[in-house]
Amino acid sequence: MDAAVLSHPQQAPQRACDGQFLQFLTFVSAREVYAIDTLCVREIIEYGQVTSVPMMPDFIRGVINLRGSVVPVIDLQARFGKGATLQSNRTCVVILELIQEDESHVLGIVVDSVSEVIEIELADIKAAPAIGNRIREDFIRGMVKIRGAFLTVLQLDQVLCVREIASQLH
Amino acid sequence: MSSPMNLDDVLQTFIAESQELLLLMEDALLQIEQAPDDTDTINALFRVAHTIKGSAGLFGLTPIVAFTHVAESVLDRVRGNELRVDESLSALFLEVRDHLCTLIELLASHGDLHGMTAEHEQQGAALVERLNRYLDNRHEPQTSLVQIEPPQLACATRWHLSLRLCPDALRNGMDPLSLLRYLNSFGKISAVVCITEGLPDIAAMDPETCYLGFELGFVSDAGQATIEGAFDFVREGSQICVLPCDVDLTGLRALIGRLEAEPDAMVEAFIACGSVTREQWLAGSSSGAPTTVAAASVVPDLAARDDVTKNRGAKEPRSAEGNLIRVDAGKLDQLINLVGELIIAGAGANLGAIQSGIGELIEATSSLSRLVEEVRDCALTLRMVQIGGTFNRFQRVVRDVSKELGKDIALQVLGAETELDKTVVERIGDPLTHLVRNAMDHGIEAAQLRRERGKPEQGTVRLNAYHEANSIVIEVSDDGGGLNKQRILAKAIERGLVAEGQPLADGEILNLIFEPGFSTADQVSNLSGRGVGMDVVKRNIVALRGSVSLESEEGVGTTVRIRLPLTLAIIDGFLIGVGNASYVVPLDLVEECIELSSDDYGNQEFLDLRGAVLPVLRLREMFAIDGANPGRENVVVVHYAGMRVGLVVDQLLGEFQTVIKPLGKIFGTAHGLGGFTILGSGAVALILDIPKLLGQVASQQKHGTTLSPELTQ
Repeated sequence: MDAAVLSHPQQAPQRACDGQFLQFLTFVSAREVYAIDTLCVREIIEYGQVTSVPMMPDFIRGVINLRGSVVPVIDLQARFGKGATLQSNRTCVVILELIQEDESHVLGIVVDSVSEVIEIELADIKAAPAIGNRIREDFIRGMVKIRGAFLTVLQLDQVLCVREIASQLH
Repeated sequence: MSSPMNLDDVLQTFIAESQELLLLMEDALLQIEQAPDDTDTINALFRVAHTIKGSAGLFGLTPIVAFTHVAESVLDRVRGNELRVDESLSALFLEVRDHLCTLIELLASHGDLHGMTAEHEQQGAALVERLNRYLDNRHEPQTSLVQIEPPQLACATRWHLSLRLCPDALRNGMDPLSLLRYLNSFGKISAVVCITEGLPDIAAMDPETCYLGFELGFVSDAGQATIEGAFDFVREGSQICVLPCDVDLTGLRALIGRLEAEPDAMVEAFIACGSVTREQWLAGSSSGAPTTVAAASVVPDLAARDDVTKNRGAKEPRSAEGNLIRVDAGKLDQLINLVGELIIAGAGANLGAIQSGIGELIEATSSLSRLVEEVRDCALTLRMVQIGGTFNRFQRVVRDVSKELGKDIALQVLGAETELDKTVVERIGDPLTHLVRNAMDHGIEAAQLRRERGKPEQGTVRLNAYHEANSIVIEVSDDGGGLNKQRILAKAIERGLVAEGQPLADGEILNLIFEPGFSTADQVSNLSGRGVGMDVVKRNIVALRGSVSLESEEGVGTTVRIRLPLTLAIIDGFLIGVGNASYVVPLDLVEECIELSSDDYGNQEFLDLRGAVLPVLRLREMFAIDGANPGRENVVVVHYAGMRVGLVVDQLLGEFQTVIKPLGKIFGTAHGLGGFTILGSGAVALILDIPKLLGQVASQQKHGTTLSPELTQ
């Protein structure tokens, strides 16, 4: 873990001897800041030509051509039940690679904008309060306070549970 | 030897090879039932057993070696005409083959034979015991053989045999002694001189290497080819020479030249063998000043003859094998994927060139795309295999099942050389097995009934394959009783599949047997009749993007016709546009395209297609695509399984050959979608799964009068 990747090293949590630090990517979706583990992020691309797939739940934006392979794209805001992401010049697709049920799935999520990569000590991630969450409880891995503001660490395996999504197509 | 890693690779090769050999063995065994005296087949059988034994020995697979050794010994006796193959022996060898198959499979799944259970061992021991019965009385016929030999020898000729076995002969499982014994089975070795000059010091000697050579005097009435045939298995790397002993000594002289041996010692050996007398040799050599010249000219001659015998008969399969390369299927898939990318990239380049309007560039890209197409065709043929291999597997199925059923049934195979994609071949086996069993169990009548109906007692099941358009058609037909339409209809009504009094065409009635849980057999046998089957067959075939149809005439027979695409990787499609998106319809389902005239414009559910009613499906509505209708719409008439539907689309974009990208897990269950493809522009197009789409519409129509309200509103 290189301190140089931290945008605000002076405010980053101090390295504890027994603490474990992980890198997280933060991004904005529907004016909320979320963080996801960088280990599953493959790349970040500009929002481009998305082919919509008919008869799909509205959070499935469609598919894109990522250098010859077809990758499904999920609208995170719609997945959280907050309506479709409006396209702006900062809209991005974060390409993720998830291992679920021993299979690797590559898919993209549409977000309003990507912010930075930060280091978070695992012990700092606190459980989310039982009430007052704006998204489904099982989507949240925990809350973490960075620079005085709370951000939500996402449980990607739940948010993008391939089995659950596929079952919604009935 | 080699590192364990390498050995593992070699073991995989051994497994693959053995499985192939065992298939060969099965074919040979089935053949031999028809023609028990065919020496080629017997040799092929022996070779299989021998090769497996030899290779298994390399890996120290003692159970396989020990087991195969007994089988080989029995086959050796068959080869030596001491035993004749009868039905019980071939049946026994089929069991032997199956047992070997089990062992090899065990090896393939575990990597060793530690997984052998007591049951396997018992099975093996039982077979060995039965095999041994053919070996027990071994010595009697051998002595009697020797006794009847002398009279035979009256018309026999003398031969001189010179053997320099390859150093690996012992390691390959060839014992020189057994060769000599085998020679004795059709002649008599009159004298043996063992050539030991190749033996190294005792310290340098490898006990597993064969250093010995032999000079033999041999008396037999067999021809040169037969004698040379005895050495088929050791020919590689060995110097074998079979010479008739006559007054002409050039052959023997050439031999000395060829073996680069000490001439005097050789001459002594020749004389000791009785192949030549000292007087003859001296007389010959005194007049033979140009000996060496003669030798030089004779040598190539002999070598050429060697080649001729090599290419004849038993050796044929090996020379054919020499032209084949074993390639990992994964590598082929990768190549085909890359070619697919190449096609997409090429289409993109083409598009760019046309847009740029530069003549030279357009020319260059068009010749490029022609080449790419050729590369694609070549790459696809790499995956093509003949269906004959699959068909021949059914010889065994038919043989076993007909014995089990007590019916006399022959299998007729046509079009075995028809080629199709390997993945299709692999996945067609199960449905075919089912159809063949069905034909035998339900189709072919009992012999009594066949006699009454004036048919030959032997029933026939026919497998046929041929190419038609861009697909392959496989037919399974029988000359049996045919399907009873009344009974099918009655059963369908009983099961509630059809309403009573509903008028159905003959084809529709026959197609009912593909419905789940349908069986007309009054008796459930352990082969078929449980009603799970035809629907599974149909599902398997539809999963391969194929279709299945049925033809049957009562009392005459039934034909099931399976139509499959040649390959699963590439589709001939028709590109259509709706809104901003492009869709691909499999071209073979498209019947015609018509323009939607302004009269038909509106929300009608049916069109008048030259007087016939054509239900239409508005893709724009079905797919809930926003945006206004363009001024003019088109109808693509698709036809599948007797249903004809018009798809209303915005644009017709023409034919398009494309690579199918699988749907992936997320869209795996999506209705109406068959996959994705990437267009030349880089955009993704959706491949429509017409059968599913139509099925969906049909089921909606069943529940409502027309399309469901949310689709037509």
